[in-house]
Amino acid sequence: MRTVHSDAPVVRSTDPAPAPVLSVEGLTLSVRGAAGPVPLLADVSLTVAQGETVGLVGESGSGKSLTVRSAMGMLPSTATTSGRVVVRGTDVLRAGGQALRDLRRSAVSMVFQDPRAAVNPVRRIGDYLTEGLRAAGTPRGQARAEAVALLEKVGLRDPEKAMRQHPYEFSGGMLQRVVIAGALSVRPSLLLADEPTTALDVTTQAEVVALLKDLQAERGMGLVFVTHDLGLAAAVCDRVYVMYAGRIVEQAPSAELFRAPAHPYTAALLEAHPSLHGPRRQLRAIGGRPLALAEAPSGCSFRDRCPQAVDACTEGVPALRRHGDSVAACIRPGRENWT
Amino acid sequence: MSPSAAAPVLEVTGLCKRFGTLTAVDDVDFTLERGASLGIVGESGSGKTTTARILVGLERATAGEVRLDGELVGTSSRRQRVAQARRIQMIFQDPYQSFDPRLTVEEAIAEPLRLHFRLSAEARRRRVAELCDQVGLSERNARALPRQLSGGQRQRAAIARALGIEPAVLVLDEAVAALDVSIQAQVLTLLDQIRRDTDISYVFVSHDLGVVRAVTDTAVVMRLGRVVERGPTEDLLRSPQHPYTRLLLDSVPEPGWDPAAVARSNRALAAAADAPGDLA
Ligand SMILES: Nc1ncnc2c1ncn2[C@@H]1O[C@H](COP(=O)(O)OP(=O)(O)O)[C@@H](O)[C@H]1O
Ligand SMILES: Nc1ncnc2c1ncn2[C@@H]1O[C@H](COP(=O)(O)OP(=O)(O)O)[C@@H](O)[C@H]1O
Ligand SMILES: [Mg+2]
Ligand SMILES: [Mg+2]
Repeated sequence: MRTVHSDAPVVRSTDPAPAPVLSVEGLTLSVRGAAGPVPLLADVSLTVAQGETVGLVGESGSGKSLTVRSAMGMLPSTATTSGRVVVRGTDVLRAGGQALRDLRRSAVSMVFQDPRAAVNPVRRIGDYLTEGLRAAGTPRGQARAEAVALLEKVGLRDPEKAMRQHPYEFSGGMLQRVVIAGALSVRPSLLLADEPTTALDVTTQAEVVALLKDLQAERGMGLVFVTHDLGLAAAVCDRVYVMYAGRIVEQAPSAELFRAPAHPYTAALLEAHPSLHGPRRQLRAIGGRPLALAEAPSGCSFRDRCPQAVDACTEGVPALRRHGDSVAACIRPGRENWT
Repeated sequence: MSPSAAAPVLEVTGLCKRFGTLTAVDDVDFTLERGASLGIVGESGSGKTTTARILVGLERATAGEVRLDGELVGTSSRRQRVAQARRIQMIFQDPYQSFDPRLTVEEAIAEPLRLHFRLSAEARRRRVAELCDQVGLSERNARALPRQLSGGQRQRAAIARALGIEPAVLVLDEAVAALDVSIQAQVLTLLDQIRRDTDISYVFVSHDLGVVRAVTDTAVVMRLGRVVERGPTEDLLRSPQHPYTRLLLDSVPEPGWDPAAVARSNRALAAAADAPGDLA
């Protein structure tokens, strides 16, 4: 983990901390490119405690999906990594195939943006749900009963009927509920949700978020909620990590992130977001476009777009610094230090 | 036929569109003043795109009429249709599909200029450069193929091409929905700038209330093909009268949001809509 420029240790929301359900420590990842390795993630560190909801926000290409997928041991085929990704005591980056399968069957599962891509369109919902249970050794009858109970749990009106139906017979929101039921079937202690509501209408989004939060409270799972929507992250998460160009640039309790963003990128994102509250104001656009790590300039990746950048921003990647309840990778964190 | 400046540029009355037994657009009315921006908000399936497509003549209404500068759209002679097509242009969510993949961006922007105006090659080149400049595309972007541009750059190119035709009305269907928030803000700022510099009017279709607030003066809220509420955008957002508008507003996540409460009102509203008698 990167050192913090402050006497105080990095803030952890839960103390005295039980072992986190997920701990990513200095994860660096690159893939093979035509002209040598292409870096995609640099020094990503994050933790998720039991029962905690942690947000991962950032614009497209910032590395959110790569980061959460690493917790499932799902890496690009030519990936080279360093650092550690520990899920319930298992170092995923060093685990063999069998250990990974066991982990996915008993500890961690994932929900994706597009439920239609997650389920086989020609198979019945019942088969989709019982398959994992059966593979884990649950007898057929019991697997079926559990699947029905799960469908009821996620709010399907007629679970028995749903077991016999095919994916096309469900709306996107209902199918996402089915996928969530599937994810729960392994009784995970860690649930990874990668933009689980991005493809849904806003009212359906509320339904799915309410369901996820309910299930989490009931089961005490750790939940990683990936989204590009800062408002959604603030509404759903206890803590939020902001990613930019393959790095974590800020970590803060949700309320703090909104009230007093410490990194200029977080502040700029908030100002670019068209708000429904307060007086109507001119949107403040951020110049340029979001970058991938491989395209980012030396020093601070955000400096080309940053209204606060100074010469010193070119001198190496800024270390994480404490600022109030936040930690930010900026040499001048906090609005009061900006011009 | 110089239209009076006071008359609305676009008038839609009793618009209906049926697909078989489904009524996608159900008795929709609105007017758009010259230089104004009207939002159409609603969730997917509410009939926004169908309405937009009828406005630009991509779809035929089952009933009702659309008047552009006082003239009926869609029923006139071929010559009138071409003239009308020039006066109302559409921007889609994914502009990629509306570009010929083999033409560079500057060629794509020049094409409609060739069709609609008599310009020398030199004057046309100047006009293309001017349009690229107006939307913030670099010379390098202008010489690129559509697939070599980012989503935001492609949307700028689509806007430049539409502006070249000098339309009175620009219909934008979820035009910023696929863009990252920093790029979305750039495009919204650009659209605002263009409206201040010209007397162009917008019909801005979006599911995102924040975006609609940022770029429209008035708005209509659609649900299941019908307009359930209308008014100045600020009033709609500050004191929504229809329960569906309120539900849409409550659905926007922010700190302290209560998704379970939103889910409950959503179900209550759906139950009311299913029940005979309709909702209040
Ligand atoms: N399998 C892969 N091979 C090569 N590059 C990849 C691969 N997966 C992702 N990337 C690149 O890594 C960066 C981060 O991707 P991703 O984690 O998907 O971003 P996000 O989810 O934040 O949008 C992007 O630039 C993307 O193009
Ligand atoms: N060409 C079509 N044929 C049949 N049904 C259609 C067609 N186009 C749209 N619809 C239906 O009309 C309704 C309204 O669709 P649309 O106008 O696309 O809504 P929105 O843009 O608000 O999501 C939907 O139920 C949709 O399935
Ligand atoms: Mg992603
Ligand atoms: Mg649409």
